[in-house]
Amino acid sequence: MVRRQVTVRNRLGLHARAAARLVRLAGGFNSEIGLARMDTPVNVVDGKSIFGVLLLAATQNTDLEVTAEGDDEMAALEAVCGLIDDYLGES
Amino acid sequence: MSRAKQEKKEERLEGIGVYKGVSIGAASLVDDPRGRVVRVRLPEEEIESEIERFRTAILVAQAQVLEVKQKIRAALGEEQAYILEAHLLMLQDRGLGRQIENFIRENRANAEWAIREIASNLLEVYAKIADTYLRERGNDIEDVTHRLIKILSGTQTRDLNTLSNDAIIVAEDLLPSVAAELDPERVLGFVTSSGGSTSHTSIIARSLGIPAVVGVRGITSRVRSGETIVIDGGEGLVVLRPTPETLRFYSEQREREKHQQRVDLEERDLPALTLDGEPVILRANIELLDEIDIIHRSNASGVGLYRSEYLYSQSSTGLPSEDDQYEVYKLLAEMSGEDGAVIRTFDLGGDKLHLGGFKQEPNPALGLRAIRLSLTVSEVFRTQLKAILRGAAHGRLKIVLPLISNLDELRSAKRIIAEVQREMREKRIEHAEDVEIGVMIEVPASVLQAETIAREADFLSLGTNDLTQYMLAVDRGNENVDHLFDSLHPSVLRAIKFASDAARRARISITVCGEMASNPLQVVVLLGMGLRDLSMTPNAIPAIKRIIRSIDLKTAEQIASHSLLLTTPGEVNRYVREQVASHWGHFLTPVGWE
Repeated sequence: MVRRQVTVRNRLGLHARAAARLVRLAGGFNSEIGLARMDTPVNVVDGKSIFGVLLLAATQNTDLEVTAEGDDEMAALEAVCGLIDDYLGES
Repeated sequence: MSRAKQEKKEERLEGIGVYKGVSIGAASLVDDPRGRVVRVRLPEEEIESEIERFRTAILVAQAQVLEVKQKIRAALGEEQAYILEAHLLMLQDRGLGRQIENFIRENRANAEWAIREIASNLLEVYAKIADTYLRERGNDIEDVTHRLIKILSGTQTRDLNTLSNDAIIVAEDLLPSVAAELDPERVLGFVTSSGGSTSHTSIIARSLGIPAVVGVRGITSRVRSGETIVIDGGEGLVVLRPTPETLRFYSEQREREKHQQRVDLEERDLPALTLDGEPVILRANIELLDEIDIIHRSNASGVGLYRSEYLYSQSSTGLPSEDDQYEVYKLLAEMSGEDGAVIRTFDLGGDKLHLGGFKQEPNPALGLRAIRLSLTVSEVFRTQLKAILRGAAHGRLKIVLPLISNLDELRSAKRIIAEVQREMREKRIEHAEDVEIGVMIEVPASVLQAETIAREADFLSLGTNDLTQYMLAVDRGNENVDHLFDSLHPSVLRAIKFASDAARRARISITVCGEMASNPLQVVVLLGMGLRDLSMTPNAIPAIKRIIRSIDLKTAEQIASHSLLLTTPGEVNRYVREQVASHWGHFLTPVGWE
């Protein structure tokens, strides 16, 4: 399993459109992908579930830990963290 | 652990009993008043096909959302289509699908039930999110849930017809037309959280002979489909998770009731005579043609009140054609024998007619309804009259006009009837010429003018429910004031006596056709005031006949005349109860007297 910390940067946070984009991306990998807020006790949500990602209620500047486990875990981690770093595709 | 223990404990909830009798059966939750979303406990072998049904619905929903999404994208661009992308992802969510499928398996639940359950869990979680924007994503969940359930109900609906044969329906509310279609062979009773004892749904429960308890607040969230529940329609009681002792107690009571029903059947052909030999006419109130054979089972003297509104509410257009109505009236004429049937013309508001142009009125009970409406949309009235007059050629039909509050209304209606008859004569349409026309006495204005009305009407009918409502200014469907509705109120009794005396002086008949006619204590007072013609829900006839055969008129007259002198409804109720118990207490049977 690989893990990395990222910060949600876009203004609206992980709202519906951003969450949908993230779930779509995560769904393309074989690995299991988990997301958790750093400011609350361990509560990992499924990165491939829209309900899970929305439940993070991650607003701008929320720190998240992303985990990936599976045969393409490194690629998955890169991709998911890359999207979040990239303002979730919103300029 | 403590929760599990708590859940096993017996719980008793109180409501308003609308039909006496005990039922023990499996709770079946119905999610909407139209009966489309039912919570069913499935047989083991149907679980896999139910899961298939759910998966198919998911696929259909996805296709629908995709289509909408593409339309929006074409019209408004990618940015606006994103919300549907979220819906699509919800539908594809493996976690959600798994939870719903597990719920179906573990609870042997139908898909609709499982979806509602899982969605409401999710909504609860979302409601706790601090961020307003994200919290409002709950709306998307509701939207998706709604779509799925709609798709499911379009396929093989889990509707009321798929219930097991020991079902007790539990619902927030049931539409009267849905209640009317319940199959008494399979549905053992129903419980609703809204409604009062004289609501239409309750009236239908009584006429079908199904025990029911209404006004049980919170019932739908306290019981799950498949659990055994007991309802006691006499006491207005619902027992959840009954203990073995409770079950034994109610099973015995149910046996006693069944015995009583057998006795009723044996006494079917005995005459309705008081101990001092005075005959009383017992007629049936009906709403559905299915009830006609109950008339024969109870040996009623024809139909004292046929509520024609049901024809309108059942018609998909709200306006049944002349021929459709004619078929029903013809059947009524043929089946009700020499005593005939009294047809009450349309007795609702314009909003029930689907004609358009009728707005919801702020105070419908005092608004444009019944005869007022018939005289306003006279084409609808003429159609009904033609159908009745044609039907009357096949037997004895009478017409009764509802909510007459001034003599002009009676005169106008009679003029229209004469015109319709002339038109039918000219067109050589087979119809009856000598149809009796009666007036419903149900508003104070017509009570006070009963003498005048009796000179121009062929008969009178006392609608005691509406009369009580209008005399006391109490909306009987309003739970807040329901307790003030009492037909033994001294003013109501005086009104009835006044109308009854007027009819006797004019030598025309007067039939009591409200709920009073089926209430044993109230029947004693009615007979004592001189009424001899009662029309009631057919299932009440055996018990009422037994009461008539157990009492003497002289005592009933004393009870009635003293009741008229008392000052409050409470005094009258206590007095009548005491008198009945002291004079005829030895005739009291477990079923019948309340």
